[in-house]
Formats: sequence, structure tokens, C-alpha cells
Amino acid sequence: MSKTYYLPQSNEVELFKAAERMNLPILIKGPTGCGKTRFIEAMGEELGREVTTVVCHDDLSAADLIGRHLIDENGTYWQDGPLTKAVRNGGICYLDEIIEARKDTTVILHSLADYRRVLPIDRTGEVIMAHPDFMLVVSYNPGYQNVLKGMKPSTKQRFISLSFDYPKADIEKEILIKESGVDEKTAQKLVTIAGEIRQLSDSDIQEAVSTRLLIYAGKLIVQGFDPYQACIHSIVESLSDEEDVLEVLEKLIALHFTKSVSL
Amino acid sequence: MDEFVGKFWDRYITKKASRLFKDEAVVFGSNTKAFKIFYHLLGGEKGKELHITDKRSIKTSQTLLEKFSGTGNTFFRAWQDEKGIYLPASLSYFPLKHHNEMHYYWLIAMLTKVTITSQNIVSDNTKAAQYLIKKYAGFHEFYTYADSFIRSNYPELSTDESSSEDSSADTYPNPLWIYPSLSGKNKLLDFDDQEPLRQPDEANKTETLSMKKKSEQIDDTKETDGLLLFLPESIMSFMEQVRVDRQENDSFDEDALYNAEDLEEITLGQKDANLSSRIKMDLDISANSIEHYPLGKGHLIDEWDYKKEIYLKNYVCIKPFISLGIEPIALPKRLLKMMKKIQSELDLMELDRIKRDNLPYGDEINLDTWIDYKGHQNHSNHPQRFFQTYEKKMRDMATLILADVSLSTEAGITQEIRVIDTIQDALMVFAESLHRLQDRFAIYTFSSIKNTKVNFHIIKNFNEKYSDTIRGRIDAIKPGYYTRMGAAIRESAKILDKQQSANKLLLILSDGKPNDVDRYDGRYGIEDTKKAIEEAKQKGITPFCITIDLDAKEYLPYLFGRNSYAVIRDAQKLPKLLPEIYMNLTK
Repeated sequence: MSKTYYLPQSNEVELFKAAERMNLPILIKGPTGCGKTRFIEAMGEELGREVTTVVCHDDLSAADLIGRHLIDENGTYWQDGPLTKAVRNGGICYLDEIIEARKDTTVILHSLADYRRVLPIDRTGEVIMAHPDFMLVVSYNPGYQNVLKGMKPSTKQRFISLSFDYPKADIEKEILIKESGVDEKTAQKLVTIAGEIRQLSDSDIQEAVSTRLLIYAGKLIVQGFDPYQACIHSIVESLSDEEDVLEVLEKLIALHFTKSVSL
Repeated sequence: MDEFVGKFWDRYITKKASRLFKDEAVVFGSNTKAFKIFYHLLGGEKGKELHITDKRSIKTSQTLLEKFSGTGNTFFRAWQDEKGIYLPASLSYFPLKHHNEMHYYWLIAMLTKVTITSQNIVSDNTKAAQYLIKKYAGFHEFYTYADSFIRSNYPELSTDESSSEDSSADTYPNPLWIYPSLSGKNKLLDFDDQEPLRQPDEANKTETLSMKKKSEQIDDTKETDGLLLFLPESIMSFMEQVRVDRQENDSFDEDALYNAEDLEEITLGQKDANLSSRIKMDLDISANSIEHYPLGKGHLIDEWDYKKEIYLKNYVCIKPFISLGIEPIALPKRLLKMMKKIQSELDLMELDRIKRDNLPYGDEINLDTWIDYKGHQNHSNHPQRFFQTYEKKMRDMATLILADVSLSTEAGITQEIRVIDTIQDALMVFAESLHRLQDRFAIYTFSSIKNTKVNFHIIKNFNEKYSDTIRGRIDAIKPGYYTRMGAAIRESAKILDKQQSANKLLLILSDGKPNDVDRYDGRYGIEDTKKAIEEAKQKGITPFCITIDLDAKEYLPYLFGRNSYAVIRDAQKLPKLLPEIYMNLTK
């Protein structure tokens, strides 16, 4: 398998490695599609650790992380959850969008995230000491203004925090070329479009265009799609459902990639 | 009828004379939002508003027919100043609609690139145009077409660049160019009617004189036999003079301007500038007396002194009031339409249902719990709640809305609408929305005179039912005095703290910085407010501020943090935006 491609934005790689040596948990903040997950995968590969990813949602219970009893022909037996597996065997446990999980669920991380590094399982009465190679990584998107969601300060304060943003223009261009295979000129245009869209405020669109969407656009173009159409389908339509916003974004794309009139 | 014929004639003759393509015109009003977003997209300043420019006349050669109909000698220019960018009300130079539309986008793009002063019109416009052409393939196409089209079809408009140094270049403007802002450039403009410019400061300000007379206070036990024993002046038991800044920039109401497009002589000055200063007398003699009934003598709370870094113990006196003699009212008709719109959004929120687990009875068995029970060593120790059910989401929320009703809210947004009017509308719509969502909420308003009197009006407390009386109280809100925000926040936090809900939201509606007549101004007020907000946060309350103060970006991030405030640019949208912000905050 080829190595996961990741281009560092600043000091995140050194920081991650340092935290790994010190057995410290990491919290990554950043907008959608800026490379958080890719970063973890790349780091897992580099450090030779398996990455277990759990995408959190508001119905995620503690049992979904720790494990539960199941039944087979011999009666009930205990099945470890993804977190427990990583704690026992070592590896990186990555809880994506942790903010989506209910606050009472995340409290089970407390004893794992501080110096104790233990996971108590109240259903079986077991207390597991974390494997020396176990590492806890969580991420969330701080962009939403929301009262009901948010991390408890007591949870937040157990992590080393890394803040991600969309990559700088030249880095993003490089990523685009590498990931989608577009030529430099097209990549430059896509990055310029992204830069312009990211200037919009929350009141206009909910979230700005991600690097991921740019790569999609690039891939469509490489497939021979008309650049204008590619951008409409990968970038514009994904960003908003409001007609007047769509109209302007289409206009902007048309300024960069002229619409082929014949179709 | 005469009017109708006149209009018809006017339209006919205008159409006949004009070489513009009116049928293909693109109107600013119908695309405002799109233009604004586009302006932001290209890096335009967020604080600037988009406006329609006023009609500016220039003298060009006229054909006989043009003279007759009055067209041909008028021309709109795009320009900008510190407050906003100004675009023509409609554009119709080109025979195809999409080119006319593109013309708007072109002008907006130009405005993000240049600020023109009268010295550099030609060079900067050329430079900016070159830049846009190079960067955007779409603009390249448009400009090549537009430039040649204008040169051939409107010879009197297109600029002869060779004579650019000549001031005559200024009178034959290029529709694709940006022109200097109006201030400081008056002598270059050639107005049709030489109207004296209004005095910049005085005329724009309205002085509101507010007088209160309590008729029942006149002592009529004295036998006067109809003789007037008191001078009329003495009826002013309370008088305060306020200077309310009604400075509006050169933009007008959009609709008004849209209509104004067809008027010949709208120029910069407002002829009736004097009308805007008016005296408002507020005599409450009417029998329908709303009584502001004090609830107790008031109580004392602390205030933070940032210089000494100590709390001034029991320094501020909070005086709770409730209005009596309120007439219950139904939701005003003007808000019905808006409420209907909001309702559809509310419905979407209510669709959310949540799973309730670990119930002794319910719709279905939760297998997890059952297996867990089977695997449990000691069955009697198990809670044995095996059921789950889906039910309508009961949001565990308590929201307290704290509205600033200081005298500054008396200021006008337009000639008819004051800030306080939109606050009242917003409160009504908001209360209605929360009531329908079945969220728990309370509404309070505050104003202050020094530390000795912080009026804390109860509109609705948490336990009261939402009813017509609550609306009546909202309707009866009267602005007054100053904004001692810290004290009001502390009092609100205290009330919220007593609520049982898991999530507590303190929504503050404000129109400016905290201030009071004593030292509670500037840094002192800001620091005390900040401290009060920190205290609220420690109590597990989430403060969120919604303001219509455009300068708020200077201090609100400091007070509330980056993600805990919203600035509303157009105060009139407050009633619609408030529920939306709330829904966004809590969904």
C-alpha cells in the first residue's frame, strides 16, 4: 500500500510526535475537510500504529465505545468496543467530531486522558491499564455557534490542542496537484476560487469550501469534465441550498472558468 | 386619470427617446443579496452596505426628442465611501439581459479593487480593469464586448482617453468605471438645480423633546375657581433633552429610490432637511395609564471596579418593576406574515425526535439492556429497565432574554421606525416562536440611572404563561435612561441560576456599549460587563449577545468571545433574525 500523502501546514507533525512520546492525548480543532482525518492516518502510518476511528453522533452511548454483552449459543459474552480494544492492544483511537456525542458519553474519557491512563468498565468490573502504545486523539469543528453542543471545559483541559485551518494557498495548490492530478494552472484557479469563497461570513454560507471539495473538483476536471460544470457540481451545490447564494457562486465560477455555451 | 395618462405618455416618450434597452434592464433591488455576497466574495469590506446611487445629472448633447422627454442628460455612476458602495438602480446599456447583469458584477468587482479620488480616475480605473481582465476569464469576455459596444453605441458616454487630463473627461463618464465619492468633490459636479448644500451637522439631527406630565398630580384640592394658578411650564415635571443622531448617509430607503429613478431631480442635498428636526412631545395625560409598579424596594448587588480590582459590595440597586394596567393584545397584523415563515422553520425543528432509553415501559425492547441483564451476575441488582421509546424532543433549555431599552433605542432607523420598535417586534416574534417550540423562557428589559437605580422590568418570568398580557407588556415598553449592563447581566444570571434546566442561555439584545451617567462608561463599563459575563459562565450559563451596533466588533469579541455574539447590520431584520439565531444556537 502506498504511503498516505500528507503535507504539513506548520509544526503539527513535531507536536504530534512529541505528544506521542509523552503519552499525552491530542485534541484537533478545524473546519470540515481541512485534513484532520488525513493527518491522523498519516501519523498512524509514520508511527506504525493502527488507527481506530469512531465517528461520533448524538446517539453514541458509552457502550458503543467501551463494549457490551452479546449473546451466542453458549449464553452471553462480553465484546470489547473500539476504545477498549485500542486501550488493551495499543494504537491510536481517534474520536472524530467528538462534539456530536453527548457530554455524558465523553466523560468516560477522563480517566484515560489524564495521568492515570486507565479505563474502568463498570459492567464487568474490570479496570484496564492502557497499553504503552495507546494514544487518544479527538477532533471537532469549533465553527458552529451552538449552545447545546460543545466540550465540557473539564474534558477539553485534558488534551494538547492543535488548531487546523485550510492550508495556505501555495500548500493547498500542491496538495491539489498531488491528489487530483490537475495541472498547475487549474489548481491555481481552484485555490483562488476557494480563497474568495472563504472570505464570506457565516451569515452568507454555513461553511466555506473545503480542500476536499477542491480535490473533488480537480478529479472531475482530470476525468475530462468541463471545469465550469465540475466546479458547479463539486463546489457550488455542496455549499448552499439557497438560490441567490447559488447564483452568485455560479457567477464567480463562470468568471474563472468560462461557461461553454454550446451545451 | 390625468396622472395615468401623464405616466403613460411619459413612459412612451422616454422609451422612444432612449437608446437604452429598458426591456432588458437589470434592477438592483431584485438582486441585492446576490450582489452583496458577490462583493464579499471578491474581498469587499464586510462592514460596507450596498446602496443605490442617486441620480446625477450631466450635460450631454441631446437630440430634440431626448430634450423633450428629458432623457439623455442623466447618468448614474458607481462610487463608494467609508460606509458603503453605491450602484445604479438599474442598468440597461446592453441589448442582452445577462450582459446588463454582468455589468453590475463588473462594477462591484471594480469597487473591491479601487478607491478613486478625483485625481486618478483614468489611471486607476484602467489599472483595475486590466487586473480583473487578467484574473477572470469571464470578465475578459465581458469587458471586450462591453467596451466596444459602449464606444459604438453611446459615443457621448465613452471616454476619450487622450483628453483624460482635461476635466471634461469627467463629464462624459464611462459606465464601466468607478467614480470618486461625493464628499469633497462637489465643485466638479454639475447639478441641474443649484441647491444650497445642507449644513452637514445641524440639519440631520433630530431633537426629541420628551415631556411627561402627570395630570393627576395637579393638586386640585386648592380652590381655584377656574383660575389658572400654575404656569404651563410647570407641567413639565420631567424633562430630558436628547440629541438623537439621525445622520443617514446618502442612501435612502431602497423602495423610495427605486421609485425615484424616474424622477428627474434627485440630487445630493435633501431639500427638506429641516423637516427631519422635529419636536416630539410625549404627554401621558390619557386615562389609560400604565403603571410601572415597583416590586419591593429593590435589592443591592455588587459591581466590579477594574482599577481597584475589587468588587464594590452592594453597590448597585436593582429595582424590579412590573407594568400594571396592561391591555392584552393579539399578535400585531404586521408580524403575522413573518410568523408564518418562521413557523415553517420551527416545524422542521420539531421533527427531531429523540430516543429515550432505560424505561420501565415503552414502545420497544432495548436488546442491549436485555442482554446486559442476562449477562449480569446478580439479576436483582440490575435496574431492569428494558424499554425504549421515541418521543418528541423536549429540549432541556431555559432562555432568558435581556433587552436593552435605554434611551438610545429611541433613535430612528428610518424616519418612521425607531430601534425600540424593532426590539419590540423582535421580542414578540421571538416569544411567539419559543412558545410554539415549548421552550422555557423569560423576558426582562433594563435601563439605569447611576448605580442607585437599575430598572429591571419583568415582561415575562419563567413561570408565567405566555399570553396576550405578555404581548401587551412588550407593547408598553418605553425607552429611557442608560445602559448599566453588568448589573442587569448579574441579575439575569441569578434568575437563570435558579432554573433546573441543563442548558441555560442568556440572550442579550443591545444597541451599543454599556454606559451610564457616572463613571460607568468606556473601560469601566466594559470591564464590569466582562466580569459579569464571566460570572454567568461560571454558573454554567451561556451568554450570547445580539447587537445592532456596527462598531460592536471592537468590543464584543472581548466581552463575549469570538463565537458568542452576532452583529445585525440591518436593524429592521432583527425580528426575523432573532428566532433564526436562536434556532441555530440550539439545534
